[in-house]
Amino acid sequence: MDEKAAQDLLHQRSFIGRPMHSTLLASDRDPEIRFDTKKQIAAFTNQICEVIVGKTEAVKLAVACLLARGHLLIEDIPGVGKTTLSQALARSLGLAFQRIQFTSDLLPADILGNSIFDRNEQRFVFHQGPLFSQVVLIDEVNRATAKTQSALLEAMEEHQISADGVTYELPRPFFVIATQNPQYQVGTFPLPESQLDRFLMRIELGVPDRASERAMLLGMDRREMLKELNPVFGAETLLEIQAKVRTIHTSSALLDYLQDLLDASRQRHRSGLSPRAGLALLHASQAWAMMNGRDMVLPEDIQAVGTAVMAHRLGHDIEQSGQSGRTLAAALLNSVPVP
Amino acid sequence: MKTLRRQDTRIPRRPLLWLAVALLFALPPMFGTLPSWVPLLFLIALTAKFWMQPKGYHLRSLFWKVVLVALILSLLFFSYGSLRGIEPGVSLIVMLTSVKILEAHTAREFHIMIMVAWVLCLCGFFLSQNLAIALCLLIAFTLLLVALIQFHRGSSSAFWPPVRTAGKLLAQAAPLIVLLFLFFPRFSTGFRFQIASQRGSSTGFSDHLSPGSVSSLTNSSEVAFRAEFPDGKIPTLGAMYWRGVVMWHCEGLEWNAPKNPAALPKTSQSSLRSEGVRQWITIEAHDARWMFALDWPANWPSGARLAPGDYLWSDQPIHKARRYEVTSYPEIPNNQLHSGEREPLLQLPAAISPAARALVQSWTAGKAEPRAIVEKALEFFRAQGFLYSPSPGEYGKNGLDEFLFHRRLGFCEHYAASFATLMRLAGVPARVVTGYLGGEYNEIGHFFLVRQADAHAWCEVWFPDRGWQRVDPTAVVAPDRVNLGFSSFLERRAAAGQLDNTQGVLARKLARWPIFARARLGWQTLSYAWDTRVLSFDGDEQESFFTAIGIAGRGPIFFIVGSLLVAIALLALYTGWTHLRTRACGDRIKRIYESFCRKAARLGAPRNPSEGPLDFSRRAMRLLPNDSERIRSIAEAYIALRYAPASDPMTLEQFAKAVSAFVRAS
Repeated sequence: MDEKAAQDLLHQRSFIGRPMHSTLLASDRDPEIRFDTKKQIAAFTNQICEVIVGKTEAVKLAVACLLARGHLLIEDIPGVGKTTLSQALARSLGLAFQRIQFTSDLLPADILGNSIFDRNEQRFVFHQGPLFSQVVLIDEVNRATAKTQSALLEAMEEHQISADGVTYELPRPFFVIATQNPQYQVGTFPLPESQLDRFLMRIELGVPDRASERAMLLGMDRREMLKELNPVFGAETLLEIQAKVRTIHTSSALLDYLQDLLDASRQRHRSGLSPRAGLALLHASQAWAMMNGRDMVLPEDIQAVGTAVMAHRLGHDIEQSGQSGRTLAAALLNSVPVP
Repeated sequence: MKTLRRQDTRIPRRPLLWLAVALLFALPPMFGTLPSWVPLLFLIALTAKFWMQPKGYHLRSLFWKVVLVALILSLLFFSYGSLRGIEPGVSLIVMLTSVKILEAHTAREFHIMIMVAWVLCLCGFFLSQNLAIALCLLIAFTLLLVALIQFHRGSSSAFWPPVRTAGKLLAQAAPLIVLLFLFFPRFSTGFRFQIASQRGSSTGFSDHLSPGSVSSLTNSSEVAFRAEFPDGKIPTLGAMYWRGVVMWHCEGLEWNAPKNPAALPKTSQSSLRSEGVRQWITIEAHDARWMFALDWPANWPSGARLAPGDYLWSDQPIHKARRYEVTSYPEIPNNQLHSGEREPLLQLPAAISPAARALVQSWTAGKAEPRAIVEKALEFFRAQGFLYSPSPGEYGKNGLDEFLFHRRLGFCEHYAASFATLMRLAGVPARVVTGYLGGEYNEIGHFFLVRQADAHAWCEVWFPDRGWQRVDPTAVVAPDRVNLGFSSFLERRAAAGQLDNTQGVLARKLARWPIFARARLGWQTLSYAWDTRVLSFDGDEQESFFTAIGIAGRGPIFFIVGSLLVAIALLALYTGWTHLRTRACGDRIKRIYESFCRKAARLGAPRNPSEGPLDFSRRAMRLLPNDSERIRSIAEAYIALRYAPASDPMTLEQFAKAVSAFVRAS
């Protein structure tokens, strides 16, 4: 489905959060039908891994982020498949998808929408911007100015947009995937700390290893593959799984460990992990536990998602050169004992 | 956006299902006590809800709501004539609940429905309080709790956890219930509900005997009363005549008892030569004033009197089950007949046919003695082909002749009435006694259960030398009825093919299986205990209980505050105990796991402090392949205990054992 058609369909349905492909999936027609969550998530992950070869770990983290109702930031050099990954995610969910290319001259109204005077009706009519979608890919988020970046804030956190004094609710699920180039590249505006904190995870794709790259070189064109992707599950199932993730059991022993991590980060760094970061860690590890078919969170789940969740929140505290957020997060995970 | 909000607050299907099942369990007390359209409409509303819910329909329009409520009010008004009283009130609540069910569609309204359903459960007790209903309502109560818990668990569709939680909550509440039951003051401030006033007066005992009045009871398995013999002296079944009402006024086949009999003076028991049989009788409510005792009661409980004819008569109508003690003697004390009393005992209706007179004259010829006349009359019944039947059919206006000379088919009331009439014709003072004969012995609870079907009528005639004597003409016609009890009698008849009425034969055959028979007796015993121990625990009983434990005579405030304080203290103790236990348990798990890690380190697989249990077990299994199976099970147990939703003490013990075995094996 091309983007235009998706947008039209979305407008017709007036953002009620209904699945776009409700006719394709029995589980969307009747929410009572049982589904094996773990298997479905695995099928979903596998489908994306077919497109993004050799990056299983990153793909799994991206899926966990999605299931934990968080937004995803992908940071890497151009050409490693950031856009392909986000498109594959959107298509495998069968959700309405929008892509916004951030540039230095982009203005907030360009992404939120404009009020335009309607001659026939003799009044201003709000025309919704590309942010009114279920999956929004923001390419090169750090190329836009701070003004435009902060326009994203409300949308990401409150799932709503205020324009001209009117509040518009965004469709559900709402999932932002942003890609950014490493800070050292020319012409970037680093994301403010508050903005970074709103992303549940930041992942890096990196260059594929030799075998994977060979497979990619031999294989089909990625764009062709993207077009052939079928939705694995729709919006309602996703919402249901997202709700289930929050019910994954976290024992007091586990919460002790989580709080030890937070405390340690606050002692070691000038501005440690925020309470929001604690919640992010909790939800991401719940999603990870569910993906592994468990009904409880283990310290291993926190460790698995810990780097992706904590690195970009600790990264701005770098004093010593050569210390990236990733190494700080890894050091934290390696030094805090599991109680 | 509107649609979205509605979707968010829609009541999930499973809690709704629980609620529906709970409401079904709250229904039984309504059937039989309320007009049948009330529970039926309620069921229809419930069914409609399940049709409407998936489609997102609900009763929206204010207009229709007002119309429905007006309709309900007028229906109730027309069927009761007023909206006051227990039954119209309960009916009103039931009907309004039905409308609420149709209307409800948000989470808030779901809570309201749960609350209303709880009120409905309580209302059920206004209608009926027997054990079966109580159990039904307890189930309904529990299911409501389950529905509420399920609702708050959100989209989780697990079946057992909410049931378990509800069970746990109820178990925790049980001691408080017992405490409040025993100690919370029972007020009797004159504000009395007359519970279930519309008792079917047609099925039951009556102070009027006519053809068909007793046989109409033969199919009623309703309990009349239960009797215990505390001294263990149990008379034989054939001698177990439970005396109810004595009838003096004769109308041929119809007899009547006085409406409000006088009281006899208290007899001195020294005049009695034989030993008495003590009985504890728990009589069911019947809204009239007769009470039952074996032939012949000599002392009587307070609140009752001994009426002329030596039967018990309550001072107040019996509106609720009542337990009393009475002693009976195998002879009538003060067995005299004064000169003025003889006349009414020979009273007869005007229209006695010549045929009947001729029959009696054939017995009295030659100045026969009363005893000889009785013998002749019994011989007449025995020899002339009289048959005993629970359904003898209708007798017309001239019933006495029709019965004596033509049809000769009758039930106990026909025999008793005609016999007593014939005796009076012969100049022998006679009266009819109605009551019950026999009963079913419950060997588990050691009591007799007397049902309406055991109703019986017999005669008493007066001999100048021995006074009143019981004569049961039915015993001549159908001796088995008297000696075996009514149900055994019916069974025997059915077996012999003499009874065309095959209904219930299968049930009776089933009932003869030992397991069913035991279960039935057990249930009756439970039910008896419920009636005598729980339902009868009223203000007086409570007072005597307080006296027994030595805290009588305090004001109600003392008991209210006291019982609430004790309840709070119990709760606090329980909370503290569970808190301590879980903490101690958590510490213990950790200690055991640490000892396991030390042992593993000694074997060459030290745990990295920042290593999670799963990672460590995998690494340790690689390092110590010989023990991998043991390490795996220990790690699984530890994870289940430390991180899983609920751990049971069983696993903790196994875990401890596995860890201590680990060092020994290695």
